[in-house]
Amino acid sequence: MIDIRNLSVTYSRMTSEGRGSSAAAVKNVSIAIRKGQFSALAGESGSGKSTVLMAIPGLLPPGTAVSGEILLDGKNLLTLPENELNRIRWRRIAIVPQGAMNSFTPVLTVGRHVEEVLSVHLGLSRKEALDRIPSLFALAGLDGELARRYPHELSGGQKQRAAIALALACSPDYLLCDEPTTALDVITQQGIIATLKNLVEEKGLGLLLISHDLPLAASVADRLHILKDGELVEEGDPGEITARPRNPHTRALVKALLDLEEES
Amino acid sequence: MTALLDIRNLTAVFPGGRRREPVRALSGLTIALEKGESLSVIGESGSGKTTLLRCILGHVSPSEGSITLFGQDTASADGAEMTALRRRCAMVSQDPYGSLPPTLTVLEAAMEPWLLVRGKHAAGEGEERARNLLAELGLRDETILSSRVRLSLSGGQRQRVAIARALILDPELLLCDEPTSMQDASTRGEIIGILAKRQQSGMSMIFVTHDLFLARKAAPRGIVLHKGLVVEEGLCRDILSAPKHPYTRALVAALPRLTSHGRPK
Amino acid sequence: MKGLLKRWSFWCLLALAALALFGTRLFDALPETEVAAPFSKPLWLDRSLPPTMDLELTGARPAAELDWTFGAPSRFSLRVETGDPSPSRFVEWTVPGGKTFRLTPLRNGTELDGRDMAFKRSLGLPPFGDASSALFPEKGIYRIGLTGEGEWEGSVKIRLEGGRWGLLGTDQRGRDIAALFVAGIRVSLLVGIFATLLATFLGTSLGLAAGYRGGWTDAVIMRAVDLLLSIPLLPILMALAALWGKGLWQLILILSVFSWMGTARTVRALTLTLRDAQYIEDLRGLGAPSGYILRRHLLPETLPVLLATMTLGVPGAILSEAGLSFLGLSDPRVISWGRMLHEAQSFGAFTAGAWWMLLPPGLGITLICLVFLDLGKYLEERVDPRLRGGNAL
Repeated sequence: MIDIRNLSVTYSRMTSEGRGSSAAAVKNVSIAIRKGQFSALAGESGSGKSTVLMAIPGLLPPGTAVSGEILLDGKNLLTLPENELNRIRWRRIAIVPQGAMNSFTPVLTVGRHVEEVLSVHLGLSRKEALDRIPSLFALAGLDGELARRYPHELSGGQKQRAAIALALACSPDYLLCDEPTTALDVITQQGIIATLKNLVEEKGLGLLLISHDLPLAASVADRLHILKDGELVEEGDPGEITARPRNPHTRALVKALLDLEEES
Repeated sequence: MTALLDIRNLTAVFPGGRRREPVRALSGLTIALEKGESLSVIGESGSGKTTLLRCILGHVSPSEGSITLFGQDTASADGAEMTALRRRCAMVSQDPYGSLPPTLTVLEAAMEPWLLVRGKHAAGEGEERARNLLAELGLRDETILSSRVRLSLSGGQRQRVAIARALILDPELLLCDEPTSMQDASTRGEIIGILAKRQQSGMSMIFVTHDLFLARKAAPRGIVLHKGLVVEEGLCRDILSAPKHPYTRALVAALPRLTSHGRPK
Repeated sequence: MKGLLKRWSFWCLLALAALALFGTRLFDALPETEVAAPFSKPLWLDRSLPPTMDLELTGARPAAELDWTFGAPSRFSLRVETGDPSPSRFVEWTVPGGKTFRLTPLRNGTELDGRDMAFKRSLGLPPFGDASSALFPEKGIYRIGLTGEGEWEGSVKIRLEGGRWGLLGTDQRGRDIAALFVAGIRVSLLVGIFATLLATFLGTSLGLAAGYRGGWTDAVIMRAVDLLLSIPLLPILMALAALWGKGLWQLILILSVFSWMGTARTVRALTLTLRDAQYIEDLRGLGAPSGYILRRHLLPETLPVLLATMTLGVPGAILSEAGLSFLGLSDPRVISWGRMLHEAQSFGAFTAGAWWMLLPPGLGITLICLVFLDLGKYLEERVDPRLRGGNAL
């Protein structure tokens, strides 16, 4: 499992005059991501969710102050040297960052994107890579034919699935997704969430979903964490949290949402 | 009583280009809205919802059918008449980043429509109205009111400024396209409450959203738009509890709910 | 804007502006006056040459002493002004060793010049002799004074012209180059700033009109831009200068007419992107007149870009003016750095080896261009955060 312990992150912000000011984005957060389990991290915009996700594979901007531990197989990812981290990225931990569906290179087909990952990280030849693509795309719920399309020729939902396929290229143990369905239609969203659920159940992946949509996160996760202003305010079974929220803010939020859903 | 808005058989087709097929954005829509009545339009991107709003305001000409707004046919209205009609309406667009002028301050942005229609001599009254509206929407801090829209406003804040900008002229008809999409869940209900107050004072509203729960709260009646066609209509709560059309059923099933945790069916 | 205070160019510009406004007060005479011998070297350059010196004898100070350590001055001249002539008294010159010369009686209006044959004869020299060398035979103490006793009203002004003068020497006419340099700042700043302001005004108006109205307005303006861009600048400037005259304001006008095109294109592009914004459509729907939209929304959006473009356009105008002046196509009565270079080249500074005539205006032009380029770069960085470097959070 990925064991995040007492993670605190403070960005150093350079203003235009060159003076630094700091903002603590994450304060003392502890989360465990287990294989075969669907974990979700929910919170309002600016609560620090993306920061937690980016801290795991060591992708925070240089100069950011990070403290705490992120343990994977007993090793602290925060203190690993870059070359060892590179062996973990894509191969053991893969991410689908926010806006991934809009981050494809427009001049390459989506298949070519996957080929590149496979050749760089697994050293596969072009033919070997091409052989893997159909099964990879199927895992992500995409027709293998679509590998020959350019990003602008795909719909939003298809692009997001392609981003997921890209992340799954090296058969990682853990998949971290940041707002994978935010810009998509509700029905498309349902399909992608089902695909992610499937990956957890069938392939035993450890999945972390980040979303600002609490009902979405609660309806799908095995284990829910709620972040507010960088602090972990709720943690546990989604049903439990919804029925008996501990934090006053969460209580108000749940009340407002239930109000909307159950109005007669 | 003549209807506030009478849409008959509205069809809008956008011509194709050299490599594009023509797009049927709307096909044969018929909607009637009485004064003081509100309607929710449930639809996702590509359903024609934005085209519908633009047709009502006269920014897009229908290919077929007619729109009668405040008793006047929009197709035969000239520029001045159309402007007079538009001044009685207001729209909150889906994208809060393009709907506010970036160089003005928040207060100026909220006041601008008032100054435009009532003239500079009404500036004092306009400022008071703007301040009250913004305060009602939770924007009271003087530093925010006097900061420029372009800088440092979050998406949620921008949306609220856009709503204030729309409400300042006390429109008889308010058109909103996902006006709470950028708000946190806890404030969405608040905003719909603010709109509800005005609905009680006689304002009509067309509320466009993909979220049926929000639609139900915003207006009792609703229509479901899918690829330019009305696939279902009735009371929102009936649509939600017993959807008839396959698209509506799929939409209702896909809505994330706090009350159904565990594995989706 | 605090970053502005840290830029060297800002302080440099302030210094130049201060010099332009008040600099002429640093000098006793107008820049055009002859102050010393032509092609005099700067004082600090060759200390073996005698500097140009002025002495004055008055009633209160009827004698003066010189400790002369140089060779002979190039010219010797003297002038008597008195309301109280005393023909029996003389101006007397004593050389080291004691020999004295009687130069002139104290008559009002007497002017002596070392080159006059009459003066040379009075000193006992042949007609083609050198009066200066005769008066300054060696290094040592020299004395000049009045013979006779008693009070006397008036002044005797003596001028010894040497090979050195002032901070930057003199030009071919004996004018102080430092004074000319300071006077030239005015023209450079004036032409640079006004020509650019006018060009920016033209470019912005036409760019906004073309971008906002589209259609025929856009087509006509853009073809005008294409036309003007394809005309080579310097030849047309030369032709127009010949046709319309060489005055300063004609120059500014001509320069602006040929440099508004870049701004117009930029502003037009910006306007095209802004024109379709949702809020603009909403305002038009509410009946906002085009003038209001242009004035209140589109123009302020283009201003930041304009400020940077304007500042970067000033060096171009300054260089064009300098170029035209160098070619001799500017008003000869107006002192500018380009004109100074022109005169240096035309009147033999090269053969005289008078590099101090060339370097100051040349470096001045370079400096002022660098100042505006640096300021423009600063403004560009302020407008576009991406150019700043580092994390733009």
